[in-house]
Amino acid sequence: MNSRRTRYLTSLAVSVTMALLIGALIMLITGHDPLDGYGALLAGAFGSKRVIGTTLYKTGQLAITGLATAVASSSGIFNVGGEGQMYLGALASCYLGARLTGLSPWLAIPLCLLAAILSGAVYAWIPAVLKVKLKINEVITTILMNTIAIAFCKFMANGPLKTMEKGVNAGTDSIDKAFRFNKLIAGSSLTESIFYVIVISLLVWYLMSRTTAGYRMRMTGQNSRFARYSGLKADRLAIAGMLISGAMCGMLGMFECFSGPGGRFTVDFSKEFYFDGMLVAMIMQYKPLGIILMSFFFGILKVGAVKMQSQGIPSELILIVQSVIIFFMAAQEGFLTRIAQRKASRAVALTVRKDGDQ
Amino acid sequence: MDWNTIFSVGTLMNTINTATIVILAGLGCLMTAQTGMMNIGIDGMMTAGAFAAVMGSWLFDSWLMGLVFAVATGLVFGLFYGVMVIRYKSDEFIIGVAFNIFAVALTTFLLRSITKASGSFHPEDTARGGSISNLPYISLGMSGGTPVNLSVMIPIALALVAITYILLYRTPLGFWLRASGEHPESLRSVGRSPDSMKYLGSLACGFLCGLSGAYLSLGYMTTFTENMSASRGYVAVACVIFGRSNPLFVCFAAILFGFIEAAGQRMQGIVDPTLTQTFPYIGTILMMVFLAVFNRMQKRKAA
Repeated sequence: MNSRRTRYLTSLAVSVTMALLIGALIMLITGHDPLDGYGALLAGAFGSKRVIGTTLYKTGQLAITGLATAVASSSGIFNVGGEGQMYLGALASCYLGARLTGLSPWLAIPLCLLAAILSGAVYAWIPAVLKVKLKINEVITTILMNTIAIAFCKFMANGPLKTMEKGVNAGTDSIDKAFRFNKLIAGSSLTESIFYVIVISLLVWYLMSRTTAGYRMRMTGQNSRFARYSGLKADRLAIAGMLISGAMCGMLGMFECFSGPGGRFTVDFSKEFYFDGMLVAMIMQYKPLGIILMSFFFGILKVGAVKMQSQGIPSELILIVQSVIIFFMAAQEGFLTRIAQRKASRAVALTVRKDGDQ
Repeated sequence: MDWNTIFSVGTLMNTINTATIVILAGLGCLMTAQTGMMNIGIDGMMTAGAFAAVMGSWLFDSWLMGLVFAVATGLVFGLFYGVMVIRYKSDEFIIGVAFNIFAVALTTFLLRSITKASGSFHPEDTARGGSISNLPYISLGMSGGTPVNLSVMIPIALALVAITYILLYRTPLGFWLRASGEHPESLRSVGRSPDSMKYLGSLACGFLCGLSGAYLSLGYMTTFTENMSASRGYVAVACVIFGRSNPLFVCFAAILFGFIEAAGQRMQGIVDPTLTQTFPYIGTILMMVFLAVFNRMQKRKAA
């Protein structure tokens, strides 16, 4: 193991510990017992077979969104718009899932998947082209396009695509039962979609770290000018990265709705899921394997937080812990360099003083 | 479509009211942009400011204390941004995005801890009770049966546009501030520290975003609601890019944004309200595309 990786892992361990301590401090200040809080969190994530299933499901969701962020970022585009791409993918696939009722699942599921991929990818393509051709900041366009996409889906689900089914007051028509993903553990969120998630995660990991295309993407992301001089088509790679990212988000939208209890598209199906995964990717500096492993850790925190919430501690605490880890990790490089510099200058001062003594 | 309802006193007032949020935040953002940083975390700073304003106003039953709380919070976050980006050389985009998520999470957490109810803050839901004191306003008479009121923050915001413009382009301090962004080396060669100018820029950003937040929760609205900035901070960043960090142009872009939002509200009878809400965001993106195409054409003409 090289020293740079050791240093990084040490920083990560320190950051996570510090952030959890800050979380404890916030609990203390707001009048909760931190031990009870974190105890509830562990029980909430591991207490029964049911919650373990949900923890695994959440891990998959974080891995997909985290890798989606990483694919785009490592090819030079910061995709903050995954939430909107996910909504469009969900709406498109749910619409098809309802319209294709009666068709063989072997035909219908791939079609729904295709619809989800296309709507996510096309919506991600717009800010990518604006960035590459016109140098328009993608962070702003993608975040604004989130609001636009969610509003559009809300409009469709409450208007033209609203279900006429009796007793159902929100959402689109229900997806054919044969197309939906079956539960793997009764009562948990874990469904057959996890197999898709595993395959997609492995594919993306392979693409990013084991292929020349992935290497080229990383080159582009790190230094687009250098990549261009060495003959790489930086623009094309950046767009490709964004298309893959959008496609992944679109698919996740389908998995959520096809696994969900309602079996239809409802506007509140996601609770800003994309941002959870984006934070994991940022913490792990867009390293695919790291993201997959870290997704499990944050899966525990996220699912456990639901139990914390039932004990009166708002689940936003985990979001605070997550962003604090990012602050630490973003500053660690500069912090360590400063310490090294100070040590070096002190050493120089010491030798100078010694020289003076002689 | 009835053009008279779109170009009416009501629309004008709505335009000014909404634009003021973006003007103040945009001024904050351009202070960092001028000193060579791009703070996209202003959305979070506004949210934090809006929450602090309501807390100050509620605890002391005084809007002035609300303003003090908001500005203090803004300054703390501005300093924090400065330390992260200037001292520890963190990636400004990562810090900005994390900042926005952090601010929404923290304010939502605190809101739910204080009131036990979620959504928005109402003093009745707390053990302490009391009330929120809002920013004062100037009454401009009646129009069509509804009173026309102008929040004091609106003239203050316009004055701040002039002040930042004069500060940046007509004073030595402004010259140094701009130099710290464009030519830090030459600034150093005349014996000024670019870093201290950058800190000044991020503190000014925090101050102005604090004001924007206070106006948001105590002027534009009358309480704090979760995630209440509604991405307007990002719109402000877009306005700064559109206005090339010049306070006058940024103010103009913000007013244009305010008009699109206000006109959208007026069209709710014709177009579904869920869709009209998206007009300002679509408008902002189109504005950025327009500017980029325009720049490109000018460059081609020059060459």
